[in-house]
Amino acid sequence: MLTQQLFNGVVIGSVYALFALGFTLLFGVNHILNMAFGSVFMWGAFAGLYAVTVLDLPFWLALIAGMLGGGIVSCLVDLVAFMPLRRRQAPDFSGIVSSIGANLILLMIAQKVSNTQIMRFPFDTFPIVIFQVFGLRIQLLQLIIIGTALLMVVVLVSLLYRTGLGRRIRSVAFSEGTSKLLGINSSLVNAQVFFLSGAMAGAAGVLIGLTFNSVHYLMGEPFLMQAFAVIILGGLGSIPGALLAGLLIGLVQAMSFAYISSAAADAITFAVLFLIILVRPTGLFGKASTILRVQRR
Amino acid sequence: MTTPDVLQLEGVSRHFGGVPAVDNVSMTVRAGAITGLIGPNGAGKTTVVNLVMGLLHLSEGRVLLSGRDVSRLEAADLARSGVARTFQNVRLVPNDTVLDNVLSGFHRHQTAGMFANVFGLPSARAEAKRHMAEARVLLERFQMTQFAGHRASALSYGHQRRIEMMRALAMKPQLLLLDEPVAGMNDTEAASLGTIFKEIAAEGVAVLLIEHNMRFVSSICSYLYVLSSGRLISEGLPGAVLKDQKVVEAYLGAA
Amino acid sequence: MMDLFLAYEATVDHILVYALLAMSQYIVMRGGTFSVGTAGFAAIGGYGTAILITRAGWPPAAAIAAGTIIAMAVSAVMALPLSRLRGVFQAVATMAFVQVLVTVILNWDSLTRGALGISGIPKVVTTGWLLLIVAVVVVFLHVLGRFSIGKAMDVIREDETVAVSLGIRVIPHQALSLVISGALGGLGGAMFACNSYAITAEDFGFGMLNNALAMTVLGGRKSVWGPLIGAVVLVILPEVFRPFAEYRYVFQGALLMLVIIYLPNGVADTLFAAIRERRVRSSTSAAAARTS
Repeated sequence: MLTQQLFNGVVIGSVYALFALGFTLLFGVNHILNMAFGSVFMWGAFAGLYAVTVLDLPFWLALIAGMLGGGIVSCLVDLVAFMPLRRRQAPDFSGIVSSIGANLILLMIAQKVSNTQIMRFPFDTFPIVIFQVFGLRIQLLQLIIIGTALLMVVVLVSLLYRTGLGRRIRSVAFSEGTSKLLGINSSLVNAQVFFLSGAMAGAAGVLIGLTFNSVHYLMGEPFLMQAFAVIILGGLGSIPGALLAGLLIGLVQAMSFAYISSAAADAITFAVLFLIILVRPTGLFGKASTILRVQRR
Repeated sequence: MTTPDVLQLEGVSRHFGGVPAVDNVSMTVRAGAITGLIGPNGAGKTTVVNLVMGLLHLSEGRVLLSGRDVSRLEAADLARSGVARTFQNVRLVPNDTVLDNVLSGFHRHQTAGMFANVFGLPSARAEAKRHMAEARVLLERFQMTQFAGHRASALSYGHQRRIEMMRALAMKPQLLLLDEPVAGMNDTEAASLGTIFKEIAAEGVAVLLIEHNMRFVSSICSYLYVLSSGRLISEGLPGAVLKDQKVVEAYLGAA
Repeated sequence: MMDLFLAYEATVDHILVYALLAMSQYIVMRGGTFSVGTAGFAAIGGYGTAILITRAGWPPAAAIAAGTIIAMAVSAVMALPLSRLRGVFQAVATMAFVQVLVTVILNWDSLTRGALGISGIPKVVTTGWLLLIVAVVVVFLHVLGRFSIGKAMDVIREDETVAVSLGIRVIPHQALSLVISGALGGLGGAMFACNSYAITAEDFGFGMLNNALAMTVLGGRKSVWGPLIGAVVLVILPEVFRPFAEYRYVFQGALLMLVIIYLPNGVADTLFAAIRERRVRSSTSAAAARTS
């Protein structure tokens, strides 16, 4: 039924938005494409899963474990893959290559640790509560997902625009050199941003792992590609753009999935991404100066 | 017909969100002379450079190159029209040799076609040889022949400035923009570079010099423009301008 | 000697095919274009060639030429729009391009036989042919790099602002490098198809993308020896590390990171630069010795 698919689209879109928010935050501050971000998401899911299966923690703590896990792995990636490059003032391209390398390592460790198995959250991790509203079948979990995404946007925006940390982050995003001159500890800010974005990805990982009832080492890769689509459609570094684009893409995906096929869903997203980049690379809210080459400003 | 007025700014302005960084500036840079653009820090000199070089849009006014309106020309095309510049922080290709850096200035004068260059046809080879010979002449003129094969980043600051000059001259420009070329140099080094600038101007190039070093400026410029807070506050012969009360105040006020 | 060669023929073929793919990746990166579309162009070349041979009955030579030309045509269409973008966006766009192609190939069953792939491709491309074609491409790229177009690309790659201030137009150079990359990628894919009996969509996915990228990063983006060295090392390395087969990707990942951090110009370019330095230093000291 159409409205059911629309709702599903909103749910999926919320997860994309959650994932993309972390990604766009990172990109906005560092101007690098973190190719290891999908693995951060995946390791957050792993952390949440082990919190439940090994430590027997309840859902809420598992979610926090996932956020912690994602944040820590994200910081590790920064430490090993990005910081040495920043110190050497390497070009952007190096960061992308370095993160591809880090991603490979993170994937392989996860594969080994999980024995290439598809793991699942135990049945009773989250109560299955279903509401029947306006003929729609809505799960509590799905509401939590949408709520979390919206909450994250609010938290992120208030953090960035109403706190000291947010000011420092925006300062470093604008110019790392100038920020250092102003006495801002840019290394600390970088670490904080990596942790923050990793935590958001980790939360997304746990929620997705629960929703689709599967946690496996490759689960992050398709999300990374979706994240590209989201941030480019939404406009780079734009937080409302990430939310909006995430929802849009989620809707498109849900529709394609329901009415065409799952393969079509992916292909359509990537084809749209490709065309958008070629035709209107600034997306919905982005600025041309960040995207196009040397030209009169 | 080559006009002696190589560069003309007519009422050029540039606003950044309501704040005028450059406000109604009109200037002329003539061939065969060194024109100076001075002013305290933050006066807008760099903005003027960027407007002329095609890195910024003009909010108002026009820029004319030998009578031709180039206000909307993109940077690469401006360079191809004969505008060369040196950078405030020397920008060479650090890992390339001195010779390679100088050779990169010859791209403007490519006559052999793309096809010839892709497949290494005789016309491209001949042209490469010609450029190599001309590059060596430049090295000779700047007394850097023995450094031809050295890595640019291994040389001293003074030498790197010379490499940048050679690269700019390789372009055979009609307008040469020098962005604080003697910053950080002692008087002897600056003087020897100044001699080279005078030689270049004498060959017919229009030279626009942006500098802080007052002594240097008054020793080689034949005309000065003084910028302060985006506006021209004085212009004329160096002797008169540097005694102008407004100029003194602008510099003292900014100190 | 001949026996030794035959025993390793498959590896040599593998190196040569990947040399082509690495060179396709190399030529875009030389010009400062961050395209990773090589795997996509290879997919077009490989599948195009395979389909023309197995289903349309074309003679292999014509099919290979056609596959290469189609790949080049696709890259030509993308070239201008891509060249207007900054590096990061070129990377994302070309990644999406590869992804779309793999998905299309997997699902367009009627044309590509979907997940089954295409098999029964006659192995007409022997080691001899590969050697010849790689040699021709190497000479072509070497010549290209020696004159104004290659030199302009070098300046663009090193410092775009400087390039522009010298009158070098960035977009045409990047567009040209993309078209050449498309042709070389298509050729590599076609060679791969006609050397492997069978191909599947997975062959042209992110694995190939990463490999081509890693080879160029490891070898170097300036000298044409870069991708060659990269291809040799990255094909042979897994063989050397065969006992650690399951950790192979960990090694590749670590290698990528170490190289890009500590040897950012790649093995070949760093080596050549060091040799040049030594020659300069010895001639300077010889000159000093003479004058003293």
